[in-house]
Amino acid sequence: MRKFWVIFVASILILLPFLCSSFSPDTPTDRRVLVLLDDFAIKSSHSSYFNSLKSRGFDLDFKLADDPKIALQRYGQYLYDALILFCPSVERFGGSIDVAAIINFVDSGHDLVIAADVNASDLIREVATECGVDFDEDPSAMVIDHTGYSVSETEGDHTLIASDDFIKSDVILGSKKITAPVLFQGIGHSLNPVNSLVLKVLSASPSAYSANPKSRLSTPPSLTGSAISLVSVVQARNNARILISGSLSMFSNRFFRSGVQKAGSTTKHEKSGNEQFLTELSKWVFHERGHLKAVNVKHYKVGETNEPALYRINDELVYSVEVYEWSGSSWEPYVADDVQVQFYMMSPYVLKTLSNDKKGLYSTSFKVPDVYGVFQFKVEYQKLGYTSLSLAKQIPVRPYRHNEYERFIPTAYPYYGAAFSTMAGFFIFSFVHLYNK
Amino acid sequence: MGRASSKEDAGTLFHSLRSAYAATPLNLKIIDLYVGFSIFTALIQVVYMAIVGSFPFNSFLSGVLSCVGTAVLAVCLRIQVNKENKEFKDLPPERAFADFVLCNLVLHLVIMNFLG
Repeated sequence: MRKFWVIFVASILILLPFLCSSFSPDTPTDRRVLVLLDDFAIKSSHSSYFNSLKSRGFDLDFKLADDPKIALQRYGQYLYDALILFCPSVERFGGSIDVAAIINFVDSGHDLVIAADVNASDLIREVATECGVDFDEDPSAMVIDHTGYSVSETEGDHTLIASDDFIKSDVILGSKKITAPVLFQGIGHSLNPVNSLVLKVLSASPSAYSANPKSRLSTPPSLTGSAISLVSVVQARNNARILISGSLSMFSNRFFRSGVQKAGSTTKHEKSGNEQFLTELSKWVFHERGHLKAVNVKHYKVGETNEPALYRINDELVYSVEVYEWSGSSWEPYVADDVQVQFYMMSPYVLKTLSNDKKGLYSTSFKVPDVYGVFQFKVEYQKLGYTSLSLAKQIPVRPYRHNEYERFIPTAYPYYGAAFSTMAGFFIFSFVHLYNK
Repeated sequence: MGRASSKEDAGTLFHSLRSAYAATPLNLKIIDLYVGFSIFTALIQVVYMAIVGSFPFNSFLSGVLSCVGTAVLAVCLRIQVNKENKEFKDLPPERAFADFVLCNLVLHLVIMNFLG
């Protein structure tokens, strides 16, 4: 009997660490990733990319896209923190996954990587459209660039292009510059210019266009030039991140290892920039970089330490907040000089830039404006590549109580003088009137 | 009736007013002086408010009201004390003065309260 209990307790204790290593707001990096493939050959042909993910601690779960047993959630709880769709030709997902399930997955804050390719199905195009990106409607179109293609021994149809038109963001692409161009072979997509959440990470050169390489062009192509995006990212308002790429082969071992020479340039790079580009990008997509949190909002009157329930007009107050950035393994102080706080009631009455002490504490002090009402301390921070911070704290502001005015108002001295002089005049007059003969 | 004659008329009117006024008794002239003083003070306050703005409006009102109130009470006193007034023939002037003093007391009490 005792042995049975010992084994039971020991087995529970062994399982506990596994239950604790999941995605949570304290450790925003994703852990468990579901990878849906068209066939398992992709697992070996793209093994470099998957190994780089595994070496950073991700738990990859490889499944076929039409496997009837796949599910994103069970009993209301999500089984994975992120989803990678390397299945461009899937017609219908198996199990309980469909477009709506994927969109709900993203809406609940989880990340998504979609790779389309030249035979992308309508399903994958639909998922991409829901995410804010429109692939070229022609199903057999590929991105062709006759001046930016990758030079190779055979005279190809210039669909293998070398692009180095990256987004300028150290958060998204890492601080080390990507020197070699990135090889790409697949379909292009366009972004709606009104959409402010989608970013072009890798755009095509101005001479690229999207058309079927095997047939002659009969009409001018609809997607041309730098409007074609080869790889885009979306950061949703709930800070879920989505990566959309038009080429599955850009993730493959063959492209990672091959050298590249862009047509028109003489430098021949030994290794293409694909590995560095995609590794750094995956660090951003899976929240290893660029994830901020703001904690400890404090406000108090200058000279005091406790937070009052309401302020009076013309008070001096101090506002402070701590902002940390996730470094992949721990929270580091976030250092920037453009975090601003607003003292807001229908419109910002005060807008001040917070000064930081390099250890993550941002603070500033200002005078409450001469208007009373219910204000909010608002911090709305949206920087390219970082999660958006949106803090609001309500605080009422009262006018002066009537014993808080000056006892004798200087502008009213003439009136005081007039009233007293009338009284004096009355006294003098009454004397004169009484004793006048 | 030409323009020159209306000017002459204004002149004679003014002179006749002056000479008639000179005939009033001294105590009434003192009351008139008092009324003139308080109206003048009220005017100064109104001009000051027009320049500076009406910030402590209660103080402005109390100042102007004190001046206007004493002017009104002084006029009432003058009416009651004037011997040519048939209506108040039987009213002893001491009674009129006592009323005047009491009303002024109330007025100044109100003014002090409202002055802020």
